[in-house]
Amino acid sequence: MPLEKFPAIVITFHTSTDAMCFEDQAHQAGLKGRLIPVPRAISASCGLAWMSRLDEQEALEDLLQSPEILYAGRYQQDL
Amino acid sequence: MSEARKEVNCLGLECPLPVIEAKKALAAVEEGSWVDISVDGNTQVQNLTRMAQNQGFLVETEPLGENFIVHIQKGKEQAEAEASAPAAGPTTVVFSSDCMGRGDDELGHILMKAFVFSVTQMDPLPDRLIFYNYGVKLTTVGSPVIEDLKRLSQAGMEIFSCGTCLKHLGLEDQLQVGQVSNMYDILEMQLKSGHLIKP
Repeated sequence: MPLEKFPAIVITFHTSTDAMCFEDQAHQAGLKGRLIPVPRAISASCGLAWMSRLDEQEALEDLLQSPEILYAGRYQQDL
Repeated sequence: MSEARKEVNCLGLECPLPVIEAKKALAAVEEGSWVDISVDGNTQVQNLTRMAQNQGFLVETEPLGENFIVHIQKGKEQAEAEASAPAAGPTTVVFSSDCMGRGDDELGHILMKAFVFSVTQMDPLPDRLIFYNYGVKLTTVGSPVIEDLKRLSQAGMEIFSCGTCLKHLGLEDQLQVGQVSNMYDILEMQLKSGHLIKP
């Protein structure tokens, strides 16, 4: 039996280094999300993505507005 | 080929968009139908091929000038047969460290977090998780994956941490999920496993 899914915001990056940098910046900003493997539904290739639950969507959007943040895509996904 | 076909034009689209479009198209067609996806790069071809193969679908690539057409035949029976293949015993995942792989420990810790999250996404789930040596840092206070492990435990997964290891590392009172086990049980559980996975 699979686990029950929950809705989440998934942010993808061009490189794993960008993902690891974002993790530091997000934690400094107080976000509770985390790095996960890029979900198969988003890409068949290997890589790291950031995942936040919907309750911190607003804070995440604020952080993504910052010009020094490098990311590739933004998705809503049940995980 | 006489089967039903659906064309998807992904020319000019970067990854992962062709894979997403292909998945949408495959979801909308009947088993046995073909989806023909036009793409303009080798990376897109490789990602589409991997996605199709992961699902057990037949895949063929046809060059067309500077572009490619990836033909994927939806084949539900193949994917289901693979997913439902019975194991000879329970599936056990063994964590001997809080770090995945050797080399760059910073990367290893990130990979381990990603691995445990991936376990939560599996269908079917493994049957049990065993933690020893630094692996018990994942089941105790301060673990970066405790939320995942608690979800798995609540879903019925058995989680065992080595008692000797907890004691040696001063973590006896810090266990957050699962139960304490010993060397005999840990060996026995591994011997009786149909699949043994070690990140």
